[in-house]
Amino acid sequence: MSGADHLPGSPLHNEVTHFLYVEAKLLDNSRYSDWFSLFTEDVRYWMPVRTTRFLAAGKGFDEDMALIDDNYISLKTRAKRLESDSAWAESPPSRTRHFITNVMVKDGAAGEIAVSSCFMVTRTRSDRDYQFFTGVREDSLRCIEGGLRIARRKILIDQTVITNTNLSILF
Amino acid sequence: MFRTIKPSAASADRARLSGGETLEQLVRAEEGLVSRRIFTDPEIYRIEQEKIFERAWFFIGHESEIPNPGDLVTRPCGVDPVVLVRDDEGVIRVFLNSCRHRGMRVCRTDKDNARFLRCPYHGWAYRTDGSLVSVPAESHYGPGELEKEKLGLIPVAQLGIYHGLIFATWNEHAPPLKEWLGDMAWYLDIIVNRTGGIEIVGTPQIWDVDCSWKFAVDNFTDNVHVFSAHQSLVQLGMLPNDPDFACHGNMITTGNGHILHFVKGAPGEAAFLYLGLPKEMWPLFDKNLKPAQKEIAAAHGISAGTVWPNFHWLQLVTSGEMNGHPHAYLNFRLELPLGPTRTRMYSWLAIDKAASAEYRKISYETYVRTFGPGGIFDQDDMENWEDCTIANVGPAAKRHTLHHTMGVNRKTDPNWPGPGRAYSDSYGEMTQRAWYAEWRRMMTAADGAGK
Ligand code: FES
Ligand SMILES: [Fe+2]
Repeated sequence: MSGADHLPGSPLHNEVTHFLYVEAKLLDNSRYSDWFSLFTEDVRYWMPVRTTRFLAAGKGFDEDMALIDDNYISLKTRAKRLESDSAWAESPPSRTRHFITNVMVKDGAAGEIAVSSCFMVTRTRSDRDYQFFTGVREDSLRCIEGGLRIARRKILIDQTVITNTNLSILF
Repeated sequence: MFRTIKPSAASADRARLSGGETLEQLVRAEEGLVSRRIFTDPEIYRIEQEKIFERAWFFIGHESEIPNPGDLVTRPCGVDPVVLVRDDEGVIRVFLNSCRHRGMRVCRTDKDNARFLRCPYHGWAYRTDGSLVSVPAESHYGPGELEKEKLGLIPVAQLGIYHGLIFATWNEHAPPLKEWLGDMAWYLDIIVNRTGGIEIVGTPQIWDVDCSWKFAVDNFTDNVHVFSAHQSLVQLGMLPNDPDFACHGNMITTGNGHILHFVKGAPGEAAFLYLGLPKEMWPLFDKNLKPAQKEIAAAHGISAGTVWPNFHWLQLVTSGEMNGHPHAYLNFRLELPLGPTRTRMYSWLAIDKAASAEYRKISYETYVRTFGPGGIFDQDDMENWEDCTIANVGPAAKRHTLHHTMGVNRKTDPNWPGPGRAYSDSYGEMTQRAWYAEWRRMMTAADGAGK
């Protein structure tokens, strides 16, 4: 992310932030097909595995192994599955809340917008306690027919051991 | 010596549980009647620590994960933390990951490359062969107060490597690995040596599930669950809309609790031949396998197996997306119990060393999309393990058994070309029954070898 910054309050920052809030609301309201329509056909939706390493070795993300690594069709499969009545990990559905903060907006490569945002996602399902998922999303957004679309999302999760049963929700 | 296992009066006392029952009464494996109590009872969990997790052989990792001298990864051996390291001479070693001084965890990252294993607490430093090399403030020890040569890192009692798979045990009385594996080694050849060897891709996915470790194990060789548990994938056209589709194959028990199955696809389906590997790799099977091993590999697409108690492979053929083409991958699995109702899962992707770049990529994508915590198959399994656990912690539930009777009267298949007891029809619960029978044997055995 080396392009020009778009500061909070600027028109592009406002538009991107609003877009991310709308997206989060779609997820929290289980509107998975509508959520999926926000992605471009060349999307990579990717959560690499993280490992515990010393500082000198970097942040510990393993580019060779992922927890999620979807293209357009497999992401669509994931979204459609959540709308079926037999995806037992989410049926009956979890209640999620996506808190999106620290939105930073820059000009990206090839006319794209480079956005980073922090997330805290809470999940509670059936009678079980809260689970928390936190991390950073690095998005490449594209303006298509007057609307924003997500062309790439790299989800940098904070946990090296996912202590929360599974990753059956979306980020 | 760390955790020496002695036949003791305590073991005999434990034959009778509080409430008066014996483990023999709770686990009637041959009849397919296993008490729900064994899954969630803290008393039984405590007995497992000594009788299973100090005694059995455990998978630690694969040689390819530590290719160079000084490479190390941290793992469990049973339920104790270990460091798996390749020493300066290239020798693979496994040590308790705990300093000899005050017990501090010595290696505190998931992987590293190190010349010395240095404890951060007071600075004791060990060579990669485990020997203690330096102790700060050493001059303050008087004569005879510090016997450095006796204070190396605590090694596992035995270490064994089979086709690059590294196993270890804390039990000096355990039979050697090859004997422990027995006939299972013949089947492991098919899985890991069919094309001349495999290697691990990246690092394992690790995640925690609120379940009994035994529910995760039970699920692993269960073919019957696929149609119901993964019904969403039937609806998405990723699995056949036929409740019998995974029944064409054999269930096999090889003794010592090791269990596996092989499943065929529909007749003539090339994606389900040679374990789903691409055609250009098929000639390698002839070179690396015995004729009977090759015959089995050539005729089947799917195989899952459990090296008793908690190491598993899954050789699967599936699509990673709606209406996609099926592709193969090889997954290894390990359960680390964190308590009676919490389990840490380790999941690795393995790939044949001979694989093309194209097959590596599609195998990786198919694996990540379907298995592990984010996989759209696997995540529904975790829901089942958790709810099986939640529903069986209460005293009323614990008075009842589960039901594992499918195929309890089935005869063995005399035409199966491999060793062990094979049963045709891959819908059956003989694998779980064999696993529980071995669990009962180890839990009630008096001596350290589990005899
Ligand atoms: S505990 Fe390791 S040096 Fe003291
Ligand atoms: Fe399953």
